[in-house]
Amino acid sequence: MDIFANLAHGFAVAFSPINLLMCLIGALVGTLVGVLPGIGTIATVAMLLPITFGLPPVGALIMLAGIYYGAQYGGSTTSILVNIPGEATSVVTALDGHQMAKQGRAGPALAIAAIGSFFAGCVATVLIAVLGAPLTKLALAFGPAEYFSLMVLGLIFAVVLAKGSVLKAIAMIVFGLLLSMVGSDIETGASRMAFNIPELADGLGFATVAMGVFGFAEIIRNLDHGAELNRDLVQQKITGLMPTRKDLIDSAPAIGRGTVLGSILGILPGGGAVIASFAAYTLEKKIAKNPSRFGRGAIEGVAAPESANNAAAQTSFIPLLTLGIPPNAVMALMVGAMTIHGIVPGPQVMQKQPDLVWGMIASMWIGNLMLIIINLPLVGIWVRLLRVPYRLMFPSIVIFCAIGIYSVNNAPVDVILAGVFGLVGYWLIKHDFEPAPLLLGMVLGPLMEENLRRALLISRGDWSVFVSRPLSAVLLAIAAGLLVLAVLPSLRAKRDEVFTESEN
Amino acid sequence: MSDTPSEAPVRSILPKWIRGPQDFIGGLAMMAVALFALWASSDLQGMHGFSFGAGTAPRMFAVLLFLLGAGVAVMGILQDGPHLSHYSWRGPLFVSASIVFFALAIRPLGLVVSAFASFLIAAMGSHETKWMEAVIVGACLTAGCAILFPYILGLPMPMFPRFLIQ
Repeated sequence: MDIFANLAHGFAVAFSPINLLMCLIGALVGTLVGVLPGIGTIATVAMLLPITFGLPPVGALIMLAGIYYGAQYGGSTTSILVNIPGEATSVVTALDGHQMAKQGRAGPALAIAAIGSFFAGCVATVLIAVLGAPLTKLALAFGPAEYFSLMVLGLIFAVVLAKGSVLKAIAMIVFGLLLSMVGSDIETGASRMAFNIPELADGLGFATVAMGVFGFAEIIRNLDHGAELNRDLVQQKITGLMPTRKDLIDSAPAIGRGTVLGSILGILPGGGAVIASFAAYTLEKKIAKNPSRFGRGAIEGVAAPESANNAAAQTSFIPLLTLGIPPNAVMALMVGAMTIHGIVPGPQVMQKQPDLVWGMIASMWIGNLMLIIINLPLVGIWVRLLRVPYRLMFPSIVIFCAIGIYSVNNAPVDVILAGVFGLVGYWLIKHDFEPAPLLLGMVLGPLMEENLRRALLISRGDWSVFVSRPLSAVLLAIAAGLLVLAVLPSLRAKRDEVFTESEN
Repeated sequence: MSDTPSEAPVRSILPKWIRGPQDFIGGLAMMAVALFALWASSDLQGMHGFSFGAGTAPRMFAVLLFLLGAGVAVMGILQDGPHLSHYSWRGPLFVSASIVFFALAIRPLGLVVSAFASFLIAAMGSHETKWMEAVIVGACLTAGCAILFPYILGLPMPMFPRFLIQ
């Protein structure tokens, strides 16, 4: 097993004309939708999921990965130009990026964001290739008890790193787990909580729930204060895209630090990319000679978080590809997409479908390169897109989502279900419940149940199996420790501080 | 981006001792969901021996959700928290109506008619909508989708009303 042979194989797959095209389309469409304010990465990926259904699995996943990066890059574009972060990961980018734009330096800000992302993407691609194989071996040593504990740890991570109340986030996860139980039981085939509705017999569609809770709910929420969406658009013409030599020298170390931090945080399950960008910004501010420059258009304040979030976005594929456990909601959507294509993510995928795994890894690098090439010239178009008023945009998104959901199974009931989940999501937002853990719970539900059942079957009903097996015990202990830490007032205060810094 | 409740003292139907109405109601709703799930899975088989029945896991998670919901509700009583935020009716109503209309119309009326009509229904959800503009954009979007989904993406779906084709 040679890393370079694998990567070379991956590039051979990814460089086939059709896959290159998929990657290009994905990156382009992802940016296009990601640029639209008020639509975050998760919503973008959820919305565009159906358009990949007609494709072969490798092409579909390459395209989805492209959509993911594109959406993320689109999010930073809106942060910089209009001060509306399309999503949580680019919230900090808005702090300094928008200031730069106001000073007429939108071009360099966008360019540095793209260059930083690209560099981070290169490092992360190599990292995935290096860590992929050994982690897969580790995964093979996992029994059902370890898997179950690992998923508990992953979910707890997601809770600890999420914004807001710990209790509410756990409640959302359990709600998601419950939703995943609707439909036929895997082992006995008994119909569970389906109320004899034939469309529910197969369970709630993952895309349906995601589109409802993220797509429709966000639209309805935005309509609430639709009038307030007056945009502080940067009107000056963007001149001078290229950063100066000084910009590059200033931002190079920041990009390096952001990449390292992001790569590490991305591997951890939980809100990887979001935390990474916050952490990178905080770090830059701490070590800067003159911290007061931050918030007034410091280029490091754009370079570091953008590199960090891109590095994290990519390394978060590692747990997905090696262990089959999605570390965040976007990866959960990826699992959904893989399942639809009949691929079960996990250690076996690496061995059984090298084309898919290595092709996708290579395409990440290509995708990042494409983002640089296509986005720098297209900035002008994205700016014009931002002037499309919301009153025209939202009905378009509604229709697009509706057609998309219908096309998944050709089932009108799915569309109605998504509408219902849209209202549920709206209610959740109103009560400050975060929908992302719900989605994660829903994806992990079947896996958790299966492993729990198997672990207990093997141990003959003895619950102590989770603490008597050393690996499982360690994982659970870490989870418990994290939970205690999260509830402790001192850390809570710090966590809230990290999140509020961005909101003022 | 959080919708802060209006500063004016909200007249609350809830008694004063509930200090965080948003959490309190949220917790109660989660408890209700849990009870519903318990009821819905009550007819399923439970544990037999040491192996799980179909109903074991749903009931287990439902009980867990009930406890968590209770926790959230109790926090809502003990801790000062935000008031219930304001719900608007216009957006949710028309967006839902548009979705439901699309679901009902796609089979009999086809993509072109249902997408265009749903667009206009959804557009009613905002008071900023200008009708001429909406009709033009709706028509363009419908045309775009009618090309994108069936032809470029190869997803089969009815295009025109059934009675016109026959």
